[in-house]
Amino acid sequence: MAELNQEPMTKAQLEYLRRQRTREMRQQLVSFGLMIFLTFIAFGLTAMEVIPAQFTIPLVLGFAFIQVILQFYYFMHMKDNGHQFAKLFMMTGFYFAIAFCVTFVYIVWIGAPVN
Amino acid sequence: MAQTSARKQGVGSVIWEYLTTVDHKKIAILYLIAGGFFFVLGGIEAMLIRIQLAVPNNDFLSAGLFNEVITMHGTTMIFLAAMPLLFAFMNATVPLQIGARDLAFPFLNSLGVWLFIFGGIFLNLSWFMGGAPDAGWTSYASLSIASPGHGIDFYALGLQISGAGTLITGINFATTIITMRAPGMTYMRMPLMTWTTLVASVLIVFAFPPLTIGIFLLMFDRMFGSNFFIVEAGGNTIIWEHLFWIFGHPEVYILILPAFGIFSEIFATFARKRLFGYSAMVFATVLIGFFGFMVWAHHMFTVGLGPTANAIFAVATMAIAVPTGIKIFNWIATIWGGSIEFTTPMLYALAFIPSFTMGGVTGIMQAAAPADYQYHDSYFIVAHFHYVIVGGVVFALLAGLHYYWPIMFNTMLNETLGKITFWFFFVGFHMTFLIQHFLGLWGMPRRVFTYLDGQGYNAANMISTIGAFLMAIAVIVLVVNIIITLAKNERVGMDPWGDGRTLEWSIPLPVPYYNFAQIPLVRGLDAYWVEKKEGNGKMMPSESLTDFHMPNNSILPVVMSLGLFIAAFGAMYFPDGQEWAIDAVSGLEPKPWALPVLIIGLGITFVSMGIRSWKDDLGYYVTKEEVERDLEELERGGK
Repeated sequence: MAELNQEPMTKAQLEYLRRQRTREMRQQLVSFGLMIFLTFIAFGLTAMEVIPAQFTIPLVLGFAFIQVILQFYYFMHMKDNGHQFAKLFMMTGFYFAIAFCVTFVYIVWIGAPVN
Repeated sequence: MAQTSARKQGVGSVIWEYLTTVDHKKIAILYLIAGGFFFVLGGIEAMLIRIQLAVPNNDFLSAGLFNEVITMHGTTMIFLAAMPLLFAFMNATVPLQIGARDLAFPFLNSLGVWLFIFGGIFLNLSWFMGGAPDAGWTSYASLSIASPGHGIDFYALGLQISGAGTLITGINFATTIITMRAPGMTYMRMPLMTWTTLVASVLIVFAFPPLTIGIFLLMFDRMFGSNFFIVEAGGNTIIWEHLFWIFGHPEVYILILPAFGIFSEIFATFARKRLFGYSAMVFATVLIGFFGFMVWAHHMFTVGLGPTANAIFAVATMAIAVPTGIKIFNWIATIWGGSIEFTTPMLYALAFIPSFTMGGVTGIMQAAAPADYQYHDSYFIVAHFHYVIVGGVVFALLAGLHYYWPIMFNTMLNETLGKITFWFFFVGFHMTFLIQHFLGLWGMPRRVFTYLDGQGYNAANMISTIGAFLMAIAVIVLVVNIIITLAKNERVGMDPWGDGRTLEWSIPLPVPYYNFAQIPLVRGLDAYWVEKKEGNGKMMPSESLTDFHMPNNSILPVVMSLGLFIAAFGAMYFPDGQEWAIDAVSGLEPKPWALPVLIIGLGITFVSMGIRSWKDDLGYYVTKEEVERDLEELERGGK
């Protein structure tokens, strides 16, 4: 009695699932390639110093942001249906974390040694 | 497997059943017993404090022992009494209210309760093993790093273990409420108890990690030679205060929101009216939860954050009064014009409104940062937080105990004794804490073990102590009531209060271990009431009678928690007598067995986690035939 009740899939269901998974795989590979590419550019810009530092820093931060989005939406499935709560939680978590960091930098003097 | 044969059980098998159970109803009872035990312990500590302060220049407790007693009173009451008791009611009611057969992760539910129990035992062992923690329940870092001996280590390790349990339980409840509601139970049809549990669980998920981090840093400073809070070595003690209050402020909302939920249910039931302004109540609950994270620095106005930071946090704090006010007015409007029945839970609920509001008003006074410089560290603060926590949370716990007792134990607590308890507690509470506002304004500092004669504090302190004794009498009457009720064991039937509105009252008592023979269909807010008024008074099933899946019992949660409990001893004695250790413990005798104990303890935990991960435990099916048999038996019993 200890095994789960499972019904076999119909042929149509199986076909549909296969198509879904192929598409999913393609998206994963594309976003993976994109992320590797962005990382390369970021490393390259920093290593070769082709443009001045005040441009490199925001550019690298921008790439990082894009990668975070790709990571969350494609690798961690936030683009899929039924992830509204996960999204809400992540956004709230981000908001709190950023608020805490800002206050720590400004009123706990953690920033002071850096200056 | 299924407990059909278990009619008469021996003591051993009952204990084994409770050690291994994953059933939310039994875990609720575990939380209630353990939380109740710690509540009495914290109450005894409170009595010791009040006896010491009854007369000036008293030497009933020494100064050092007084510090230990106030620290353990605060820590025990918040972490080991109030929260677990709320978890008891959440466990007992929430799955029934949303029409679920158990929580989303029954195994984790059991792990949560055992982590809490072992953490609580570890913390309280400090009394017998060289002294309890003595740096206050906030354990501010410079003081707690300097505290000699192992008291603070008991605090850090005990709270770390029980805090992990709380975090696990928070995740569990949030997942359960989001994913396991019965068909028709939309978000805006969830009873307020479920809503407040959801918001409190989300707060736990966000608020406990900062505490975990803060305690980890403290543990590493005290036991493994790091310097996060040690100023001489470049550390910063203010970081502890921030981390603690980033957790600590949401914590008070984690406590009060489920209390609001319990009261909302009681008001609607005993005023026999739908809760007034349901959607405003939900909105206010969520808003309080959100604001709760944005105000932590109001505990630290006098630290020297600067006028800008103080002003921002002062305004944010005052904003919380708005949603709380919405709730207070909604409760008043709920009972307004209702056909009120003055049962014991309802008495607590009615007394809660003025008591809690008084605590809220003094909160707004303290939110004004410049005025707070005057109130800070005085008895005014003590009076304020006891007004909100006792007048809000403890009233809710006592009300909930009477209200939900039939669901948990199938009997009713005695109403007369319940009312005697209420009046003693209500009068004693106001007598103890109202006068403390004035003591604070007259200048009496908190956390000081005595005061001199001739400062005008004598009469007020004596009144306060007499009030505390009235509360103690109330608790004793309550215990007598519980013992009498359990001894008599007069079973009650379904919907014992007669006016149940929500799903949990639509179930036969005792609640079957699978809760619902068929998951019900919810047709509106206050689902059971809708069926009473518009249907035939029975819940409509949303599924046909079929086999359904239930989880197996497991002893692993106890073993995992025991492993951490053993490891905690190893960690605690690890720095003794080491030259790199802090001054507080470097003079003690070295304990070479500490490291092996740490490794063995963690080993036990990791091995049992491995067993859980690699050994399949698929649960079992409750068969249609068994459920049908139960239903038939119920039918016969009902006739």
